[in-house]
Amino acid sequence: MTADEMVMDTNETEVADAVALRIYEIGYHIVPDTKEEELEKVVGSIRSEIEKAGGSFIAEGAPSLTKLAYPISFREGEKTVEYDRGFFGWIKFEAPIMAAQIIEAFLKQNKSFFRHIVFQTVREDTRAKMKAPQLREVKRTDVIKQAPRRVEEVSAPVSEEELEKALQDITTE
Amino acid sequence: MSNNILTQNDIQHVDYKDIDLLKQFINPHGRIMARGKSGLTAKQQRAVEAAIKRARFMGLLPFIQK
Repeated sequence: MTADEMVMDTNETEVADAVALRIYEIGYHIVPDTKEEELEKVVGSIRSEIEKAGGSFIAEGAPSLTKLAYPISFREGEKTVEYDRGFFGWIKFEAPIMAAQIIEAFLKQNKSFFRHIVFQTVREDTRAKMKAPQLREVKRTDVIKQAPRRVEEVSAPVSEEELEKALQDITTE
Repeated sequence: MSNNILTQNDIQHVDYKDIDLLKQFINPHGRIMARGKSGLTAKQQRAVEAAIKRARFMGLLPFIQK
């Protein structure tokens, strides 16, 4: 193989790498001040960016207001803002390698997102099907708590005569 | 019997969004459990570690808890 051929060969593999599709997932937090009606528009902007970069969608989680485990500070122009909640959503998609970088750059420059993550994953659904056993145990104790609750006896109104008679029965004994 | 939660529930992939699952692998201070305590295989432990770190970065799990 001549040097020219080798250069061509490496170029071809580079091109093949750039075209090769990979599965990515992005997670994002939209600033909580965003109105519910505008969320769709914000998510739509990510979707169009992915499509523009040649990606195809696999799965998606709509943004929902989530309380954060710690306050996240975010620089909005001149001032720094701290958020304790955000609209968390995610998208899983298949795209060429270059697309991941483009989308990462898009999320970074867009001020609607105060935190994001992009990483490679697998096509299969990765969500665990089980519920946490601790939660199941809590449910079991709930059942036990409810079981001994007895239906209170509903007593009919007692007349004066009957009451007096019963009292006399007790005192004579 | 081992206390490997992932094998017991036949979980192949660990997702950073499954907070309830991941919470079982952190202690009350928010630190990741050692392998000896979690009962996971080395491969599973790495997956759980990565997922917890992603969840922390995204503010779904705490870095530290007092």
